[in-house]
Amino acid sequence: MSARLLALVSDCYGMGGGIARYNQDLVEALAEDGAEILVLPRHGRSDGIVLPPGVRQEPPVFNRLRYSLKSLWIGWRQGPFDVVFCGHVYMAPIAWMVARMIGAPYWLQTHGADIWKTRPDLLRRAIEAADMVTTVSRGTRRSLLGWVDLPPDRIRVLPDTVQDKFAPGPPSEALRERLALGAGPILLTVGRLSAGERYKGHEQVFGVLPALRVQFPGLIHVVVGSGDDRAYLEQRALELAGASAVRFLGFVPEDDLLGLYHLADLYVMPSTQEGFGIVYLEAAACGLRVVGGVGGGSADAVPDERVGALVDPSDQAALVAAIAGQLARGNADPAAVEPYRRAHFAAGARRLLARLVDQRRRKKGAE
Amino acid sequence: MCGIAGIFAYLDVAPAVDREELARMNARMAPRGPDGSGDWFSADQRIGFTHRRLAIIDLSERGAQPMHSADGRLTITFNGEIYNYRELRAELEAKGRRFRSDSDTEVLLQLYADRGPSMVEVLRGMFSFGIWDSRTRQLLLARDPLGIKPLYYADDGWTVRFASQAKALLAGGAISRDPDPAGIVGFHLFGSVPDPFTVWRGIRAVPAGTTVLVDAAGPEAPRAYYNVAQSLGRRAGAAALDAKDARRQLGTAVHDSVRHHLVADVPVAVFLSAGLDSGALLGTMAELGARDTLAVTLSFAEFKGERHDEAPLAAEIAARYSARHVVRTVDRAEFERDLPAILDAMDMPTIDGINTWFVAKAAHEAGIKVALSGLGADECFGGYPSFTDVPRSVRLMRPFRLIPGLGALARRVLSSAIASGARLHPKSAGVLQYGGDWAGAYLLRRGVFMPWELDGVLEPALVAEGLRRLAPLSHIAAAIQFGRPLGDFDRVAAMETSLYMRNQLLRDADWAGMAHSIEIRVPYVDPFFLAALPPGDVLATIKAKEAVADVPQPPLPEASRNRAKTGFVTPVGRWMRDAGGGPTEAAGDVTFSNASRAWALRVWQAGWTGSAAA
Repeated sequence: MSARLLALVSDCYGMGGGIARYNQDLVEALAEDGAEILVLPRHGRSDGIVLPPGVRQEPPVFNRLRYSLKSLWIGWRQGPFDVVFCGHVYMAPIAWMVARMIGAPYWLQTHGADIWKTRPDLLRRAIEAADMVTTVSRGTRRSLLGWVDLPPDRIRVLPDTVQDKFAPGPPSEALRERLALGAGPILLTVGRLSAGERYKGHEQVFGVLPALRVQFPGLIHVVVGSGDDRAYLEQRALELAGASAVRFLGFVPEDDLLGLYHLADLYVMPSTQEGFGIVYLEAAACGLRVVGGVGGGSADAVPDERVGALVDPSDQAALVAAIAGQLARGNADPAAVEPYRRAHFAAGARRLLARLVDQRRRKKGAE
Repeated sequence: MCGIAGIFAYLDVAPAVDREELARMNARMAPRGPDGSGDWFSADQRIGFTHRRLAIIDLSERGAQPMHSADGRLTITFNGEIYNYRELRAELEAKGRRFRSDSDTEVLLQLYADRGPSMVEVLRGMFSFGIWDSRTRQLLLARDPLGIKPLYYADDGWTVRFASQAKALLAGGAISRDPDPAGIVGFHLFGSVPDPFTVWRGIRAVPAGTTVLVDAAGPEAPRAYYNVAQSLGRRAGAAALDAKDARRQLGTAVHDSVRHHLVADVPVAVFLSAGLDSGALLGTMAELGARDTLAVTLSFAEFKGERHDEAPLAAEIAARYSARHVVRTVDRAEFERDLPAILDAMDMPTIDGINTWFVAKAAHEAGIKVALSGLGADECFGGYPSFTDVPRSVRLMRPFRLIPGLGALARRVLSSAIASGARLHPKSAGVLQYGGDWAGAYLLRRGVFMPWELDGVLEPALVAEGLRRLAPLSHIAAAIQFGRPLGDFDRVAAMETSLYMRNQLLRDADWAGMAHSIEIRVPYVDPFFLAALPPGDVLATIKAKEAVADVPQPPLPEASRNRAKTGFVTPVGRWMRDAGGGPTEAAGDVTFSNASRAWALRVWQAGWTGSAAA
């Protein structure tokens, strides 16, 4: 669809992390379909990166005031734009203002924790002014509908996408030996170790390891990720599970990470507040079954028993039963992950853009 | 008339349709359709429809649903009746389309194939339906212009579900029961839940007179194809006519509407009170050649032999038009016995519907499937006191609005006085604050509890959120804001039709009628009829409410005209008040308004949101 978009985002090209990845996927999906997109980030430079045809990224502006002024300036001088896309709730007020100024519809993308709690009145109004809000999961959509007054049809779900590199592969015995992981079974958790994200449930898993190791003496819990909470979690692992049960690997390069997915026996992260839980699907796409947590958007990433199970992490007996049960069931069904592949995401994103542009045309026609 | 439901897993990541969930939704609607039940699932399991049938047109299996088009492209699940289906069928046949059944359902399929979603604009009838177009992979949900037939939908972001009853959606088990403060506050303000809200956040009504298109990106915003205020405005622009012509036009419109509403392959009865509206329907039926019509009248044991008893006068009307008359007597004991079943059948909280429950029960006992009702006559003929009270209030109170803060101050002072024992109705405190504009005056007239009283009956946080989400005055004002400004009569008619009649009377007629497998047809609730009537100011001049007595030939008996002026009383208000645990007063003091407050609280306490509901 030939539309021009102004994308106000926290980060896109030149940055890592889930939101940057999502924005890149979205921008590319729309650009491949003929859209022209001008990205205005607060972080990250695209210097040296070959951007897809139709996509241009401005240098980042971190300062809020300067970012707002630049958004207004670009909206005014580099238009016309058919749509203003806003990639983060915190930028919703300025996106709303730019969209009003240039008379374009405004599309707000939310991710999870950013909208789980009631926000100040200005932010609520800025969200309610959106012509379309997209969320990554049903849970996020439901919590947003709980505190903003938007017609439900205006909030659509556009789930995260699993990249093609996540696919089943043979386990690497060399990696097993290099990391000295033993016979297993291997439980794997991948995620930031942040004091603000203890909802991911590392400690709860540590707490059930002794019980599991009675049943599976070689069982080991491999924790991938770095962050400010690592020292605390290492201490907790020692207290709860003993010295040999948990292995902290810190940051792991991408190739090794894929190897770990192929080597591990179960992905365990009983998180209660994932915005979506893309990591569950990445694990499942590699054939690894998943134990996730009840709450947040995880239900969307672990839709049924083909992928794994969700459990309340505060219920130790249930957590033990879920881990043991999933270990006994072998691999996840890769077909369950297929609808999360990029082609489906791209088609969904294009449909939403088409609907937004079409709505605006109809509205103009009716006036 | 039937029960419909469906599930469409529109997003690729959504699991396939759960057949058992659809079966549970179907089972919850069993009384809506005792004559048959059918399911359909697409080959890819992404969509499924279910249907409960109350067979009325084309009783054969060819009329069974869900029904498919001959080429297999379209599938429909449909609740309602299309009264002009024969005309539409003739038009389609003239275009070369061939039919396989005699049902109105097939006409809908063929009409969709011919016109697409804009087909709804030519339908005369009451309907809600879902049509699946396998070529475009779109689901069309549609609801009739005035909201006679209900249709609810729930979208979780992956899957959309729809059903004739909100409780059927809940019975499926996949929908959250989170409360919606807007619907809850709306019920306590109006006595019924205002469309499109329900008391559950996850469920919405398809608004009357709209369609909702669902494709792979999910449901679109409802698209309106009919608006009451716009239609009354258009009618007001018609050429002037004298009283005699106006009466003739009224008579022609009633005849035409009744004739259309008699289309059926089973006998059509009538709910007969001692009033003019239902009597005019029976008289017109007789004039149109309906023979041996069954007329059902409700009588209350407490009024036997008293002047309030409607049965004797109804019997006179029935005799005049050679109808078979059935009088069904109801007493308090039966009301109390039926109360659990009433609350179970009640699809959403409401303070009314009890009379309809019993008259439908009586009709069912008499072996009837279809009955005409005089519902809606007061809205189109100006039969309510609101037609004089509301314009008068606006005229008298408007000047006080010029003094900022005066209304709120007066309300606080009066509320304190009432709380200290002043013998005033609690609503009267708001006269200065609300009485000076149309929406406010209407709320005063129709309201059960006033906004400032809600903190006393509900959680204050819920009230604040509900009032913000519902914005009651804007909600009411929306009923009269469309195109050109309306005259006094039409303003009140638009509000009564779009709010009270739609959210209260029609919804109650649906659940209370369907609970007994009775299709209630409402000839006074019909956009074609409304458009055929003289303009609102002319209806007021000729006193249409009384003039309807002369529509049939012979006209209604003189006694029924006199009776209409003295008003109607039922003991139902007192039963409801007592069931609600309201203060005991002398029998004569029980007004519907007093009773409805206690009853509203009783109904709400029956438990609607949370795990115990539905």
